[in-house]
Amino acid sequence: MARRVVYPLYQLGNPQLRIFRTNFFMTLVKPGKEQPPDTVQFRIPMEMTKCDIKNYLEKIYSVPVGAVRTRIQYCTNKKRNHLNQRVKRPDYKVAYVQLVQQQTFQFPEIFPQKDTALEPGSVEEMQDQFMQDEQQRQKADPRRGGVTEWFGL
Amino acid sequence: MAAPSRLPLLQFCSTRVFLLRCTQGFHGEPVVREPAYPPVIPSRTAKSKSAKKRREEDYYNQVRAASLVQDKLRLLTRLQRKKYVVYPQTFTLNADRWYQHFTKTVFLPGLPGKCSVGRQVVDKENGKVPPAAGGVDPTVLDENTFSELRSLVGNGILQENFYLKKRRPFLQKEQEHFVAPFLSNLVSSVTSSLAKYNPLLKMSSLDFNPEVSFYWMRGERTVPRGHRRGRVDPIRFQINDQPHCQIRVPEQLEEFLPLQESVSAEVPVVHFEPNRLPMFQRQYDNNIFIGSKVTDPCSYGHTQFHLVHDRFKRGRLIKGNLADQVEVRLRANAIASLFAWTGAQAMYQGFWSHEDLTRPFVSQAVVTDGQYFSFFCYQLNTLALTVQTDQDNPRKNICWGTESMRLYEQVKDGEVVGLNDDVLKLLVNFLLNKPQKM
Repeated sequence: MARRVVYPLYQLGNPQLRIFRTNFFMTLVKPGKEQPPDTVQFRIPMEMTKCDIKNYLEKIYSVPVGAVRTRIQYCTNKKRNHLNQRVKRPDYKVAYVQLVQQQTFQFPEIFPQKDTALEPGSVEEMQDQFMQDEQQRQKADPRRGGVTEWFGL
Repeated sequence: MAAPSRLPLLQFCSTRVFLLRCTQGFHGEPVVREPAYPPVIPSRTAKSKSAKKRREEDYYNQVRAASLVQDKLRLLTRLQRKKYVVYPQTFTLNADRWYQHFTKTVFLPGLPGKCSVGRQVVDKENGKVPPAAGGVDPTVLDENTFSELRSLVGNGILQENFYLKKRRPFLQKEQEHFVAPFLSNLVSSVTSSLAKYNPLLKMSSLDFNPEVSFYWMRGERTVPRGHRRGRVDPIRFQINDQPHCQIRVPEQLEEFLPLQESVSAEVPVVHFEPNRLPMFQRQYDNNIFIGSKVTDPCSYGHTQFHLVHDRFKRGRLIKGNLADQVEVRLRANAIASLFAWTGAQAMYQGFWSHEDLTRPFVSQAVVTDGQYFSFFCYQLNTLALTVQTDQDNPRKNICWGTESMRLYEQVKDGEVVGLNDDVLKLLVNFLLNKPQKM
């Protein structure tokens, strides 16, 4: 329910433990490997559990959650700094959340591919064309098959 | 010194021998003999693609040439590798689409014409009621027998829920405690009372908690890491199922649709790897088993009865925002279990992926959680699911199924309230299913 707090010990008969302003923050990330369309991927703090994720999304964001699976990604301790000390990249936990009722989610393209189509008649286009012609001129005769100019009569 | 005896020269110089020798060469025809070279085929042991192909061909020919079914099964299941374990009762979401893709099955809602409520219950006074259009084989069932069945079912429900004094079972054992004995009771009593109408049931074998397992390959993938990196491997699957009970018969049931007939619905295709479902891999013995060994006379399947586990009960799913998954999981259960059963039956008859079926294999299943019943029929048309054999294969396996229907509303004061007759009629139809000639 929160990070870096000591949860009070539960004894039979105690009321349900509730926290109203939680310390947890989840990050929605783009999946590295292709995921099914109803799966959303998050990076979450290590102390969070599957039940925590379900309650978080349902209570705070009112997103009904079907199933949650988590895993911990271990990051390297092999890199060394200028003092030859090992530098640890921090580990993180990843959660895969499946949505209910066939809802789908597609992570948006934040860096869309731009079509580099230059305007005909502009300065950049003529420069580009000139550079391409120059490169074509510098290339050796393809009929020589990669043999350099030194050989020959 | 022992000198070899020398024949006198004169004998060889005699004209008669000389003449014989000369005549042989001139007037006879030259004897033409075909040059007998061995066939030009690729090597068996070289590190080349053609050698690999030849080894595969030799393996397939070896399996085809095996005379006993046990030898065939042993050759096909001998090599152990990591395989995906398919659980018919699963916690995963939208499992039925994935299972349909793995087993090349088309799902059609509703039951085929034969099994639907086309058989009428006959009243003795009124006479015969004509069967509905599409119903085949109007078996006459007495009103008395039907009411007997009703009372049997009602008694069974009351026995577990009212007559017997039971303590509340510990965590997640409710189904085992209340429903499993009722289901065994129901199946054995209804089967024995219907045996006089269906001679097939007299020769059948009723197993409790049988093991059904099946091993197959579908699709291909490149091994990403390890000492086998870069090699193209088929994706292997294994089902190990334990239905509550099943009925096995010595004669095969009739097909619902002809083998060559094409169905308009499509098999859903899933482009993700099975581990995204999530499904997990393990390596252990590859088993193919229908519930009895190959030499058993009852080697064809009739009906299976599945009990939904406590974890997948309706109440829990609805509490966890998964109300629409209830039907999905019943379908997934039926598709997986019935594919495994019919596939294993077909393999027991000697068919495998490179020797495809010549006749369809048919089985039925009832999935229940005590109160809700759903009925499924499965027709296996093809076992050729590997990439190589699936290229020109237009056949698909077909599964028909109903939604879940309540058998009774509740048990109140020693009475079963709201016993649904349609469910009982469907159950009776299922159990009365038999081949035409009997």
